Amino acid sequence: MRFFDCNTYVGLPMNPPPGQPARPGVSAQELLAAMDRAGIEKALVWHVAQRDYDPLAGNELLAEAIAGHDRLAGCWTLLPPQCRELGDLDEWLARAAAAGVRAFRAFGQENRYLLRGEALGDVLSRLAAGRRPLILSVGKEWQALYDLLGEFPELTVILADLDCWGTDRYFRPLIERYPNVCVEISGYILDGGIEAFVGDYGAGRMLFGSGFPAAYHGGMMLALAHAEISEQDKQAIAAGNLDRLLGEVGP
Amino acid sequence: MISDSALAESFFRHGRSDACPIIDMHGHMGRWKGIYFPRASAEAMIHTMDQCGVRLLVFCHHAALFCPDIGNAASARAVRKFPDRLRAYLGVNPHYGAALAADLAGFDDNRDVFVGLKLLASYHQVPWDAPAYEPAWRFADQRGLPVLGHTWGGSSLDGPEQVRRAAEKYPNVRLLLGHSLHGDWGEAAAIARDFPNVYLELTAVLDDRGVLETFVAAGLSGKLLFGTDLPWFDPHHGIGAILSAEITDEDRHNILHRNAERLLADVGAKPN
Ligand SMILES: [Zn+2]
Repeated sequence: MRFFDCNTYVGLPMNPPPGQPARPGVSAQELLAAMDRAGIEKALVWHVAQRDYDPLAGNELLAEAIAGHDRLAGCWTLLPPQCRELGDLDEWLARAAAAGVRAFRAFGQENRYLLRGEALGDVLSRLAAGRRPLILSVGKEWQALYDLLGEFPELTVILADLDCWGTDRYFRPLIERYPNVCVEISGYILDGGIEAFVGDYGAGRMLFGSGFPAAYHGGMMLALAHAEISEQDKQAIAAGNLDRLLGEVGP
Repeated sequence: MISDSALAESFFRHGRSDACPIIDMHGHMGRWKGIYFPRASAEAMIHTMDQCGVRLLVFCHHAALFCPDIGNAASARAVRKFPDRLRAYLGVNPHYGAALAADLAGFDDNRDVFVGLKLLASYHQVPWDAPAYEPAWRFADQRGLPVLGHTWGGSSLDGPEQVRRAAEKYPNVRLLLGHSLHGDWGEAAAIARDFPNVYLELTAVLDDRGVLETFVAAGLSGKLLFGTDLPWFDPHHGIGAILSAEITDEDRHNILHRNAERLLADVGAKPN
């Protein structure tokens, strides 16, 4: 099986996650070595400074980290454009594309804004038009997510880092209503969850992610490799769906 | 996959390993209010165990912890249906003293079902050192039984202070710290080092990378127990995490089955 990891970061977190004193973060080189050990071909990467320090500096660090590594694609972080921090939005998106950025992330809480049309309309309408995926670490923010998708029903949204305490009743209504919503499985460790999802919705909207380096590479790799679904469906979740989504990204 | 482990090779190829017959020391069973479970029945759980190479699960039915109207009978029915694959913890609900007394009085007649007790103080909102729990602690201490307690860092009900107090007061209890005092990993390791009868159970620990390496580096390879909260978490996820951790295959065997085999044999509940 070929794995394309859609949820991994590089860089050193401001606060190492508890229990990880030895190596809380990784450089791009270390990430690639860990991917080799685990058997992962490619990754769609963000930089932890985008969340912990500053989106703009984090975006530049991400661009530097993935430069020259054709196994790594990148994510940049959005801000609401009203403070003029991103400059001209079309130029900003062009610079992102030139830097190898294929998807975007938003950290509304850390960056102190609301994930709504009033704040992000100009940015999100461009993402939707270009079929650029927005990856959101959901946390407990389901109400905001429902509101956001009500405003931008065409947006390609990857729901990432689902917590492990039961999220089906939150995310399944979104899967049923919005055709471009997908789920990333690093936190979706529910027993039988992959099989049930694929049985109800097919395999086209589930994506492999590891959560590395905060989580281990092999957890959901093993779960997916031995899920009771067809080999074709496994391969779609492991890499094919993300290849397809990124292949659809327009100018 | 995981290029430096022979065990990983076997699990990734076959989904299980005959050389590593897993014992899952922390499960539940049945539906529960907060989560949609695709595989909640005893039959579905056994199916998952077969897929993952789990030979034995020690569990406590959700009804025993959350529904006093049904109670521990739900666990007993499942064990008697699958006696080769299941053992149960007697669930302790501290709010129903008479029912607890009756359950404990019947414990010795149901040793084919129950290997120990299960506490869920964070949910029942009663601290471990409350009088309501004392009959259960004394009972387990007299018999040297395993007690699987849900434990959580920062909790005043089942956090580090409560664990230390119980370990000191009831030295014969095999105290299994469910979730290893989640988040308070340093205290978990210290307590497991200080008390020979304290074990660290790994449900919901394995989704955080690095904790396992911390425990093994602290010399606790012989005191770690695999667990999944099944039907909550896919055992393959936990197994894959253990295979990914930077520890040895010897450590992995300890965690996945050897420590539990020894513990169960010590308390006269040797798995088949
Ligand atoms: Zn539990």
